[in-house]
Amino acid sequence: MIKKIYLIGNPNVGKSVVFSRLTGVQVISSNYPGTTVEIAKGYLILGQEKVEVVDLPGTYSLDPTSGAEEVAVSLLKELPKDQIAVINIIDSTNLERNLLLTVQLIEEGYPVVLCMNMCDDAGHRGVYIDFAKLEELLKIPVIATCALTGQGIKLLTERINEAISAPKPGLTHQDRWLEIGKIIEQVQRLEHRHHTFREILEDASVRPVTGLIMAVGIIYAAFKFVRFAGEGIISRITDPLFMNIYRPLLEKLSAPWQEKGFFFHLLIGDLISGKIDFKQSLGVLTTAPYIEFGMVLPYVISFYFILCLLEDIGYLPRLAVLLDNLLHRLGLHGYAVIPVLLGFGCNVPGILSTRVLESKRERFIACTIISIGVPCVPLQAMIFGLLGKFGGWYVSGVYLVLFALVIILGVILNRTLTGYSPEFLLEIPPYRFPPLLMLWKKLYLRIKGFLVEALPVVLLGVCFINILLYFKLFDFVTAIFAPVIHGLFGLPKEAVVALAIGFLRKDVAVGMLMPLGLTANQLFIGATLLAISFPCIASFVVLAKELGIKGLIKSTAIMVTISIIVGSALHFLVLH
Amino acid sequence: MQIKADEKAKVLEILGGTNLESKLLSMGVYKGKQVVKLSHIGLKGPVVIKSGRSILALGHSVAEKIIVEKE
Repeated sequence: MIKKIYLIGNPNVGKSVVFSRLTGVQVISSNYPGTTVEIAKGYLILGQEKVEVVDLPGTYSLDPTSGAEEVAVSLLKELPKDQIAVINIIDSTNLERNLLLTVQLIEEGYPVVLCMNMCDDAGHRGVYIDFAKLEELLKIPVIATCALTGQGIKLLTERINEAISAPKPGLTHQDRWLEIGKIIEQVQRLEHRHHTFREILEDASVRPVTGLIMAVGIIYAAFKFVRFAGEGIISRITDPLFMNIYRPLLEKLSAPWQEKGFFFHLLIGDLISGKIDFKQSLGVLTTAPYIEFGMVLPYVISFYFILCLLEDIGYLPRLAVLLDNLLHRLGLHGYAVIPVLLGFGCNVPGILSTRVLESKRERFIACTIISIGVPCVPLQAMIFGLLGKFGGWYVSGVYLVLFALVIILGVILNRTLTGYSPEFLLEIPPYRFPPLLMLWKKLYLRIKGFLVEALPVVLLGVCFINILLYFKLFDFVTAIFAPVIHGLFGLPKEAVVALAIGFLRKDVAVGMLMPLGLTANQLFIGATLLAISFPCIASFVVLAKELGIKGLIKSTAIMVTISIIVGSALHFLVLH
Repeated sequence: MQIKADEKAKVLEILGGTNLESKLLSMGVYKGKQVVKLSHIGLKGPVVIKSGRSILALGHSVAEKIIVEKE
């Protein structure tokens, strides 16, 4: 009687794709080790029964050497072995290395089914496997699958019941490798092929000179694309919709509303020379949807499109190799580029994915750097929207300040924090070109995630701000902080409200700066301050979860100190 | 000994504690295994090797602990 099914396998063999196929639960999958940092659970109908399926983090063996591997192994021991089935997922293009875990699972008496994933890719790479022979040698069901297309998944579910426990005496890893070598000789045939274009690219991207050229080119192209596509969506789609359809509609509906009282102020906001101005009116139905859909969403779409593409192709681990040297100076290692890049989308998944880093010290450094120096897409979109019209230098200025901060802060943290930063040891996946449909699915998941998280906060936030503004409740806060804001940072005292709102959501906060009529320099200081000061509430919650209260306090103290120093320094440099 | 990019070598010994050794072992790098060095990045940067069909990136100090012999 199977009560639970576990999916286990080496990192980056496509466990999450198989999981989605089996359960219908959509989870994010990418082409790099360590995508799954949270355990996903779903259900599979097996005969008449509904059985729970658990997607475990990747592990190379049953003797855990990292946190994620420990989690995988301990979950596997939750239930007695006769109540579970284990689907061991294997990357068919790399059978030998994957079999270590399989052999160990069999030895320890787990009921195993072998799922030979990516078997289509194996063929492309000149790897031919005799599945029947492998089944005979291992004495467990062996099923060839291609989870991306769904091939073999049905057969896999049909054969789960055949998994039986047959423990064998345990070997040492060294002996296991010998045994695996013998199996490989009998079941695998390699066809020697000339280097394909894909393999030449794979190689070139981890060599110093060609790798660096490729990295610069790819990052430049990615950045250009995000701007181009983002602006394209704004000027072709969202702006026409807002200006030509939504605004006339709103104006028609609100026209009979003669008395401009509380609710008018709440929903529509202030009229700018008798008209609704989406950037300045600050109403729940005007500025709030415009910020989210008209300014931020287009960039969220274009950013995640590029990120998903780079993730699925498998470029990110190669970037990690190239940046390892630099990141070492900051007390991190190359793999920290993954949380940092995810942080550029939204700090929350960025902070969560610092779990791919092993030590507490590294995680603290990475989380602090992400919160301070990595602006999320919504914030960046607003910075482009506001500062862009004053010229590219202001926008680049914000990035330069942030980059300098990350470097300085990293070097200082690396020198002062105790503890060690473990070494870099990472498997580099081959380049893969997943079907476009997979890319769309993932993009859809991420955009949906963004809207679900952001929209309620933005609408409620603007509503809340309007109530406070209407009853002049901000005056008290403004009065307290005005000396700091005005004296130190050179911003008008109304900017206090915007900076305070930064705690709620950064994009709305920048939006609050729009009606203030700031000069380019003041906007530059305000936007930079919003980027480095407190993270928004959602990041704050995950920071507390990942670093603990003590770590959070430490990290926050650093942020506040830096904001004050940088704010005053910029004020002095730019406005004097 | 130190090998250059694109050179083949055999692993003689892995220094530096059982944790590193067992981690490398489970990834398929162990005594007697033949590996190819693909590249290294900068002076003290990571080293990329090919072991079997896997490509591994090793931090500089990890690479230093893998003692190899040219064939």
